[in-house]
Amino acid sequence: MADISIGKAPHPITVLPFYGTGAVCFAALAILLFLAAGELTGHHFSPHLLAIVHTAALGWGTMVIFGAAYQLLPVICERDLYSVPLAVASYLMLTLGALLLVWSFWIFEVGAVMITGGVFVVIAALLYTINACVTAARNQRTTPQQAFIVSSALWLLVTVTLGLLLAINLRYTFIPRNHLDLLKLHAHAGLAGWFLQLITGVSTKLVPMFLLGKSKREWLLYTALVLQNVGLVLFLVDGYFNPITAKMLVYGGIVALGTLAWLLYLADAYRNRLRRKVELLMKHAAVSFACLVAGFTLIPIAHYFSDTRWVSLYGTFLFLGWITAIILGKTFKTLPFIVWSSHYRHLNGKVKVPLPKQLYSERLTVYQFYLYVAAFVSLVIGMVMDYTPVIRTALLLWIVLAAVYVVNVAKTIFHKPMITDGDKTQ
Amino acid sequence: MEIKLNDPFAVELLKAQTALMQVIDPELYVNIVDLGLVYGVDFTDAAKVKVTMTLSTPGCPMGDAITGGVENALGAAFPDREIEVDIVWEPRWNYHMITDEGKAQMGLE
Repeated sequence: MADISIGKAPHPITVLPFYGTGAVCFAALAILLFLAAGELTGHHFSPHLLAIVHTAALGWGTMVIFGAAYQLLPVICERDLYSVPLAVASYLMLTLGALLLVWSFWIFEVGAVMITGGVFVVIAALLYTINACVTAARNQRTTPQQAFIVSSALWLLVTVTLGLLLAINLRYTFIPRNHLDLLKLHAHAGLAGWFLQLITGVSTKLVPMFLLGKSKREWLLYTALVLQNVGLVLFLVDGYFNPITAKMLVYGGIVALGTLAWLLYLADAYRNRLRRKVELLMKHAAVSFACLVAGFTLIPIAHYFSDTRWVSLYGTFLFLGWITAIILGKTFKTLPFIVWSSHYRHLNGKVKVPLPKQLYSERLTVYQFYLYVAAFVSLVIGMVMDYTPVIRTALLLWIVLAAVYVVNVAKTIFHKPMITDGDKTQ
Repeated sequence: MEIKLNDPFAVELLKAQTALMQVIDPELYVNIVDLGLVYGVDFTDAAKVKVTMTLSTPGCPMGDAITGGVENALGAAFPDREIEVDIVWEPRWNYHMITDEGKAQMGLE
């Protein structure tokens, strides 16, 4: 048997803790949002909003994405994951770091705890970057997806390093620039560097795979890679040396064109798909991409109108729309395979075993989709109206949604092996 | 997987095909024969069953589950023979290799 490129499912310890902790953080995020309902349309530089954004970015988004990436890196790079211990260490560092950061932001205690949290997160990002880059480097054939994996990992490192410097700067001021402007650079390195490029790379592998579709327009992916990076670099360099003005919108436009190239590639794969019926879980992806487009259109509005709610809406469309929708959908397209593999791979061909899709509740995913749409739409309406009772009601829906998600993730992770031997179920 | 009736190993090949149809690709929910992953089964060595097959994608996380499934299924069907699984990447698998039966199972047109 050939000894290369035969995929082995990564060890469950490199994936399951991330999904489990991510689900708990999603529930915590929903509760924190509810507790801070009256502040959501206020200025983003406030203790509670900083805590909420970091819960969403680190505890929820990055946590689940790390787990998914450790599972999918072998698929994208066609090589086994470089190191399991590094993956486990990155989990411990990210969990501890996110906890310390969120806590210190919530009570706004600037100093040792916040800085220590930031250091842990930087270590987690460094460990992840090493794992991702070495796994990618082991494959001599470079694909655009691999390039996105590497570039996004490097942007994560830039983002969290800048974040750590900002945390230090809050306590011991040493950066000769306006802290709020630097916060914008930090946030967009994370959004357009880490999240956008990671999701671009992974989705262009997974979406065609799930739809049994393909696109021959690979040049669109290289265009996306160049434009997303050029726009972001120009924004960061110009934004560091000069005040953030309307010309920065041009850089946002370049990133938007890079995003358009990516979405055109996905649309082409969608058109050329064999699987005509689109599953509900794939519809989350469509909602996610729509939220991203809405996020881009909010950039000039947030820039030109001084009302803080537009910035809040921009963040809402990106964190609770784009990133959350894609995670909610993709969780049950990825997580069950790892659990299935750890319980049943040795039994395949021997006895009848359940399918991965039987490891979670499909009914709960239906509730999840409609709850999500209702929760998101009502939250956006409440924020546009700037009316706290509507926001609070919407956030109750978010708490119910998080509970449904947590239950389904737990059902999958704690699945008890079940095999059928003839008429007997064991 | 095509079996000719005048093949000297036609009986063994039919038995192997039946066994391999018990091996499911857990990602696509279809057995590996109808997916077109099995390129050939060789019985010329009396002590061995040699399967030449591919996977839907290199690095597929279900790869070892599928190859292990092949060893399990053929090991049970041919207990007196050693099972050898040879994974090849040429020709590269594509959706057109799925049989009509496989397409029907996947709900494809």
